[in-house]
Amino acid sequence: MKSYYLFVLIVLIFGNHLAAQEYNIVIKGGHVIDAKNNIDAVMDVAIKDGKIAKVAKTIETKQAVQVVDAQGFYVTPGIIDIHAHVFAGTVPDHYLANSFSALPADGFTFRVGVTTVVDCGDAGWKTFPTFKENIIDRSKTRVLSFLNIVGEGMRGGAYEQDTSDMDAKLSANAANRFKEYIVGFKVAHYEEASWIPVDRAVEAGELAGGIPVIVDFGGDDSHPPLSIEKLFFDHLRPGDIYTHVYTELDRRDPIVDTKSRQLKPFVKKARERGIIFDVGYGGASFDYGQAIPATKAGLYPTTISTDLHTGSMNSAMKDMPNLMSTFLTLGMQLPEVVKASTWAPAKAIKREELGNLSEGSPADVAVFNLRQGDFGFWDRKGKKLIGNQRFECEMTIRDGKIVYDLNGIADPIVVH
Amino acid sequence: MKSYCILFALILSSLGHSVIAQEYNIVIKGGHVIDAKNNIDSVMDVAIKDGKIAEVAKNIDAKKAVQMVDAKGLYVTPGLIDIHGHVFAGTEPRHAYSNGFNALPPDGFTFRVGVTTIVDCGGSGWKSFPTFKENIVDRSETRVLAFLNIVGEGMRGGTYEQDTHDMDSKLSANVARQYPQDIVGFKVAHYNGPEWTPVDRAVEAGNMADLPVIIDFGGSNPPLSIEELYMKHLRPGDIYTHAFGQLDSREAIVDLKTKKVKPFVLEAQKRGIIFDVGYGGISFAYSQAIPALKDGFYPNTISTDLHTGSMNNAMKDMLNVMSKFMLMGMDLTEVIAASTWHPAKAIKRENLGNLSVGAPADVILLEVMEGNFGFFDYTGYKMEGNKKLECELTIRDGKIVYDLNGIADPIVVR
Repeated sequence: MKSYYLFVLIVLIFGNHLAAQEYNIVIKGGHVIDAKNNIDAVMDVAIKDGKIAKVAKTIETKQAVQVVDAQGFYVTPGIIDIHAHVFAGTVPDHYLANSFSALPADGFTFRVGVTTVVDCGDAGWKTFPTFKENIIDRSKTRVLSFLNIVGEGMRGGAYEQDTSDMDAKLSANAANRFKEYIVGFKVAHYEEASWIPVDRAVEAGELAGGIPVIVDFGGDDSHPPLSIEKLFFDHLRPGDIYTHVYTELDRRDPIVDTKSRQLKPFVKKARERGIIFDVGYGGASFDYGQAIPATKAGLYPTTISTDLHTGSMNSAMKDMPNLMSTFLTLGMQLPEVVKASTWAPAKAIKREELGNLSEGSPADVAVFNLRQGDFGFWDRKGKKLIGNQRFECEMTIRDGKIVYDLNGIADPIVVH
Repeated sequence: MKSYCILFALILSSLGHSVIAQEYNIVIKGGHVIDAKNNIDSVMDVAIKDGKIAEVAKNIDAKKAVQMVDAKGLYVTPGLIDIHGHVFAGTEPRHAYSNGFNALPPDGFTFRVGVTTIVDCGGSGWKSFPTFKENIVDRSETRVLAFLNIVGEGMRGGTYEQDTHDMDSKLSANVARQYPQDIVGFKVAHYNGPEWTPVDRAVEAGNMADLPVIIDFGGSNPPLSIEELYMKHLRPGDIYTHAFGQLDSREAIVDLKTKKVKPFVLEAQKRGIIFDVGYGGISFAYSQAIPALKDGFYPNTISTDLHTGSMNNAMKDMLNVMSKFMLMGMDLTEVIAASTWHPAKAIKRENLGNLSVGAPADVILLEVMEGNFGFFDYTGYKMEGNKKLECELTIRDGKIVYDLNGIADPIVVR
């Protein structure tokens, strides 16, 4: 470990001439899974100036400032969680909008391999500037946003029922102004049997140049649920996202018929049409009663996401690796699980520079250990599946810097 | 599993409060119990009722319980007590650890690693404590206590923490007496300069409120004498945190030349000074800890100094820090004692950190994982170990609040 001091010495002596080293980091001997580039093999990965510099069978490590020993591990693009709630704050009675139910991103991302989170509707056009100032600009995690179609964002209660605050034009204006951060629009928690929130969000999506909407389909026990078939075929566009796909709640039309336990036939057609099915696991939004029959019928999620908030973090959900492991246990193949957590979400939010290891892409990389053993994966109703594999994050790299190293597999060990 | 859930829901809804019909709410079966206060270090069952420990015995009938937890192969200990965390999370610009962005909301950093009690270490001062209580103490599921900063503004950073005019013993003691259920002592931190004023004011407040002080000894050039601190300024029961730090501006406990613990440090520990880890970002160096532990000098209390700068770095969490001390020579029972019963005594909360009948049922299940693990410090020095602690289940006040693999039956997490 004297090498650390050597490293410091090198930095002191050469300063900016570190560029004299060919690479900043070389990750050696890991099994690379990169869905965009169809890589599923043991490869080395080199990083330089925050970008992926090379992926090849053998890369010389003498030319690297830091070498990561990834033998026996999986090397993937940094995980992209498109459904999280990170507008943490202390405004009373503001639910997920600058308040106590949301979480600060950095403590829930790098340690589990996530390099990009999309805040899912906490901010609306009125509150986005505060979200940007408090969260986006202060987080080391790459934080993006689905802007709530409600101007006040996810303030809870009656605020989210106010259709007069669902302004497609103003929402689209904000999205156009903050193109770098806003990737789409969110509909959530609307209770009445009305299509207004969905239609306004889709309208905003069109006005903002064809960006997607993500729909939490709300509902209320006082009336029959709106039809998801109508939602998928008459209201949403290809590329729009249906989150909480494995929910089973009385107030919502489920994808699996609760009597026959069969996947409704139109669901696969909706996927063929281009509707994106997102997990959005959350506190009460994932149920094995839906997920087991649906995945047996072949309906795996397009994108895996957490719906991270204070109510889900310590419960059945926990974190991305727990959900990825859950889907492994449900029979999804490992490369498909990784794809649904990297390249598929990158495409869903139209950020195709992310979620892959192409040369020149931002060097967001995760290293996973696939632990072997007896593990339990349970849902909110207490149903448990036993699995023998669990993803554990060994290392996370964001924009070419090591930001998490569980066991110190880098040499020298320097965490930013 | 489903039938269990339905049955459980039925029992709850039909009987309501008469769940009391069941003798126990939870029985934890077959785990290896470590309870330093009661000198237990053997396989025992633990029963919980109405939020309290009801029984610890060789064999408790699980049929009498609403929930049964299978703890075979696991360790069962009191909930961990982290006496050095920074949890006054907020969004005030330029407020550092005091309602600012450097602090973290506790619940996402506690239950998943077995911590049931966390003491905010000086985030708030007497002026800001009411906001801390409203925003954090009262809203957290974790048991949150506070060392009140001797600085009235709390840990706002920069010049605020250098303002000796804002270090008022009397007002600090007043607020501590006003909130005896929440405030467990006083914090000194980040003071730069050769004056003893901050330490002496904190001790004065401690005398007025009959509470300990915890010292982050700041910096001075040349450094102030820690021998003088331990022997002349602090009282038995006062806490020296960042014990294994090695910084130019602060005197270290291990002599850098001889690699031996300075003799007065051992005397100070005998005198009753409590040596706390307070791992943090740059406050733990193997170059201090390895020789110290080799010399038989163990920390009294293990703690994290959790904040945004330490959470993803060498520190990570309480279990990672505990695993390091196992690797450096402490045995599991000693590490557990330093993370449960000893901190409970240090903060004078002897109802916590133990499994005595009648104590609040803060209980955790730990697995000692076997494998190849690396434990590094902030300088990049790494030790290889083959044991690491993992939290399987956490119970706070008799309710399961975390269950990693669903080992409770039925699985119900509140």
